[in-house]
Amino acid sequence: MEALVAFAQNLAGGLLIGGVYALIGVGLSLVFGVMRVINFAHGEFVAVGMYLTLLLYGYWGLDPYLCLLVAAPFGYGLGLLLERLVLSRLIDAPPDSTLLATLGIALVVSNTLHLLFGGEPRSLYVGYATATVRLGPVTLSVPLLIAGAGTLALIGALVLFLSRSEAGRAIRATAQNRVGAELVGIDTLAHHRLTFGLGTALSVVVGVVLIPLLFVTPAVGGTYTLKAFVVTVLGGLGNLAGAVAGGMLLGVVEVLGASYLAAGYRDAYGLVAFLAVLLFRPQGLFGRAVRRV
Amino acid sequence: MRPAEVIPQPAAFAVDRVLGWAAGCGVLVGIALLPQLLPGYLNLGIALLVLVGWATAWDVLGGWTGQVSLGHAAFVGLGAYTLGLGANTYRMPPWVSAPVAVLLAVGLAWAWGRVTFRLRGPYFTLSTIAVAEILRLGAINERWLTGGGEGIFVRELARPLGLDLFDRHVQYYWALLYAACAVALVAYLAPRRFGYQMRAVREDEEAAQAAGVDPVAVKLRAFMLSAGLVAFGGVLYGAYLSALVPHALFDLRLSVQIALTAIIGGRGTVWGPAVGAVLIVLAAELFRNLFASANLLIYGLLIVLVVLFAPRGIVGQWERWRVRRRYARSVAGR
Amino acid sequence: MRRIGILFLVLVLGIPVAHAAPAGPVLGVISSFTGRFAEFGEQHRAGLAVALEEINARGGVRGQRLVLLVEDDTSSVTAALAAAERLINQNVPLVLCCYSSSITGPVAQYFTRQRRPFLVFTSSDDAITRPGSEWVFRINQPSSTYAEVLFDVFDALNQASGGRRPIQTVALIHGNGAFETAVATAAEGLAKGRGYTLVDKQSYDQGLTDFRPILNRFKARSPDALFMVSYAEDSVALMRQVKEVGLNAKIYAGGAAGFALPGFLTGARDAAEYVVTATAWTKDVKYPGAQSLYERLKRALGGKEPSYHAAQAYAGLLTAADALRRASLTDPESLRRALRETNLMTAYGPIRFADFRGYRNQNPLKMIAEQVQRGQFVTVYPQEAAVGRILFPAPPWDRR
Repeated sequence: MEALVAFAQNLAGGLLIGGVYALIGVGLSLVFGVMRVINFAHGEFVAVGMYLTLLLYGYWGLDPYLCLLVAAPFGYGLGLLLERLVLSRLIDAPPDSTLLATLGIALVVSNTLHLLFGGEPRSLYVGYATATVRLGPVTLSVPLLIAGAGTLALIGALVLFLSRSEAGRAIRATAQNRVGAELVGIDTLAHHRLTFGLGTALSVVVGVVLIPLLFVTPAVGGTYTLKAFVVTVLGGLGNLAGAVAGGMLLGVVEVLGASYLAAGYRDAYGLVAFLAVLLFRPQGLFGRAVRRV
Repeated sequence: MRPAEVIPQPAAFAVDRVLGWAAGCGVLVGIALLPQLLPGYLNLGIALLVLVGWATAWDVLGGWTGQVSLGHAAFVGLGAYTLGLGANTYRMPPWVSAPVAVLLAVGLAWAWGRVTFRLRGPYFTLSTIAVAEILRLGAINERWLTGGGEGIFVRELARPLGLDLFDRHVQYYWALLYAACAVALVAYLAPRRFGYQMRAVREDEEAAQAAGVDPVAVKLRAFMLSAGLVAFGGVLYGAYLSALVPHALFDLRLSVQIALTAIIGGRGTVWGPAVGAVLIVLAAELFRNLFASANLLIYGLLIVLVVLFAPRGIVGQWERWRVRRRYARSVAGR
Repeated sequence: MRRIGILFLVLVLGIPVAHAAPAGPVLGVISSFTGRFAEFGEQHRAGLAVALEEINARGGVRGQRLVLLVEDDTSSVTAALAAAERLINQNVPLVLCCYSSSITGPVAQYFTRQRRPFLVFTSSDDAITRPGSEWVFRINQPSSTYAEVLFDVFDALNQASGGRRPIQTVALIHGNGAFETAVATAAEGLAKGRGYTLVDKQSYDQGLTDFRPILNRFKARSPDALFMVSYAEDSVALMRQVKEVGLNAKIYAGGAAGFALPGFLTGARDAAEYVVTATAWTKDVKYPGAQSLYERLKRALGGKEPSYHAAQAYAGLLTAADALRRASLTDPESLRRALRETNLMTAYGPIRFADFRGYRNQNPLKMIAEQVQRGQFVTVYPQEAAVGRILFPAPPWDRR
């Protein structure tokens, strides 16, 4: 009975953290699907979101969830700026170049954060940081619950945006067939910018939502980037629903692997799954093998 | 790619050539005699030369064959740990552990490449990160193999021909030999069949296949060569540090540094990675006390600038500039 | 193009800028003032500043002002080695180093081969002085003593309870970094050697950390003692999750690193209460001048809380200056002997160098244990240094 409760606990924890992973993955997947850019700096924006929240909370006492109202537009603007300055010049360059360019951006961002905030690990200490809620025999952390549920809601909103709005449809068209989209009059370059802004904003939101749970140091971005890659590949690059499933899967695999197998290899479980999918099912676990033009 | 030398060299520019040769020889002599000329810079010199070797070795796969790997630190760790564990646990003299390290690296590269080379471009790069990370976790967790997270000290090494391998002078010449061999190897391969096969695979895999080149075989060979060379450098690095910690050796940051050195210097050129290494190590040392906090930031800015404005790297751009200048002169009738 | 070539040459030739070694007594210091370990370098800087002021106020070294040559290793081992070489070139008689063991190890090996004295004041990897060498001296306590002091506390608590042994089972969780692994290994050995049962043991990789799966597993085993070895960020998350998961142990033992830092209190808040931590120094320890040192360090840090690293830097510089006073500035061997004969009392504790249990030139200074009581660190062990009594057992989470 104890073991069953422990399992349920672990599963719940895995699903919730998986929701957060899903959001990171969705942003990366979106950017790749539309722009064919593998954004190495994706995780750095999570760190940016975290520091931004710390700043806002520190100076104005703004509750982290309210910080979202500031952080999301800020992330969006930052994404637009970077796209304009760097990525738009590399539209037709080989994929290597964008990879390296985003790597460079990642280095610049993490080192700027280091210069601005120093290397000490920081976290946010809100009253409800250690609060828990009981669902039957299972105890769940409140911030984790909010993070998981909130990110899933956000993904839902994103899906709605992509399927119902004009801009959303234009983005999907660009992802499916860039030339075709241009031919029907869609300004693909502008939509690239929009997508990158969106992807960055999503990362920043993840940061805001995670800071009450975890800590931040300037170096933390790399870990999140790697997680985002794993999630995106599991779900299929460019496949949003797949990214959600991939995120949940990663969360659960990590947690179960850590509890029942060697915890020292926790990150390795995700990586092995990542490699396996890359090699044997490159379209992702949930993707269809579609040849992109 | 340089066009054949059909443009005659006017005599007026012979002076340029002579000066160039003199400068080159001067630099070479300086490098060879560094321990006598600047005895206080051996540590720096060794670190620089090792990076030259690593970057040049990386470039065989990353520049000539076009497969960007961000996992090469695994081979550094492999080399260093083979030396350390070999000496500590098995009393292996370094002239045995070095070839063993190279063989292990070649074997690892073969297995790794066989599995991942069906992936193209950025997917391959992502897979290198994943594999290197898994190896890092293995090195940290498997105490019976590596001494675990605490690391090991290499205190005693057998002496080949009576040479003390911990002596910085000996290490300097060892490193010089290593760097020179790496560069010479690339210079040797460049105009030969394998060099062209690598370039063909880099430019267009399908066309290469149509021309009868087996891309996977070429990539594998390049990877094995690259890995073996890096591991040899790792053995030297192990003796240089003599205190090995898995976090520092199998670090993603080191892989990125090696890759960026070659990229900034110029991928797919003989001297590019070497120039990149000189620039980065010297700049870091110079800025260490000048710009302290900002030195790491500059690194990142540099790579963005290079990618945007000098995608061929420093030496690559320079070679291109030379070709264009020669063409412009020939067209202007000079 | 020519201009770039010239610029390049200037860069290359700019490196060997002649450094005239300053006249008079000089000491070299290498630490990480930028890069990953910068926050500890900051603490070191404060300790060095306070010590230098004190030394020069008392007449310096043999009447002359002491000068410090400070080098930044940017948290990189290759830069540290280059800095070490530079200092040796300038005939600096004694160099003090560093923060991270991954840097101190190679630099210590280098100094040994160069046959020059070397003083370690923060890095705790056992292998640095075990076996070490005749040239390497360390004033701070090695990693294994972090575990030792906590087990001494367990033993003391067991003895005080007469017949029964309230602490019998131990669960161990630790990061997989060099330091954490060293402490954890020592803890395992001590558990076995002193008759405790290790019911579970788990290491985790640095980075994003969710300890809940591990803690849930521990909870099922009901350990008497929870032994944790983590860095700053992890220690906060760990204790918060221990509370969240409802893991009740009679004693929570933190093997230093994260648990001894001021950030742990502000981060974990009420979850930190009752945690017993091994630490190298506290402000209320009963060594002469400890409180005054704390205040001076705090001022040097601009009001920020000093950690024990600052006190270690302070003690290191005092020790080095003391040895300089008794030795010839130009003869490394005489300096080495002077260090060997050190017998100094500082606010950090007594400093001397001895050979014991495989260690060489290691200061046999005891570690201290402190407990979080009402949101403050209180020194509770050993008796000679203690200011308060240890609160044991810790009440269960739902009854706090």
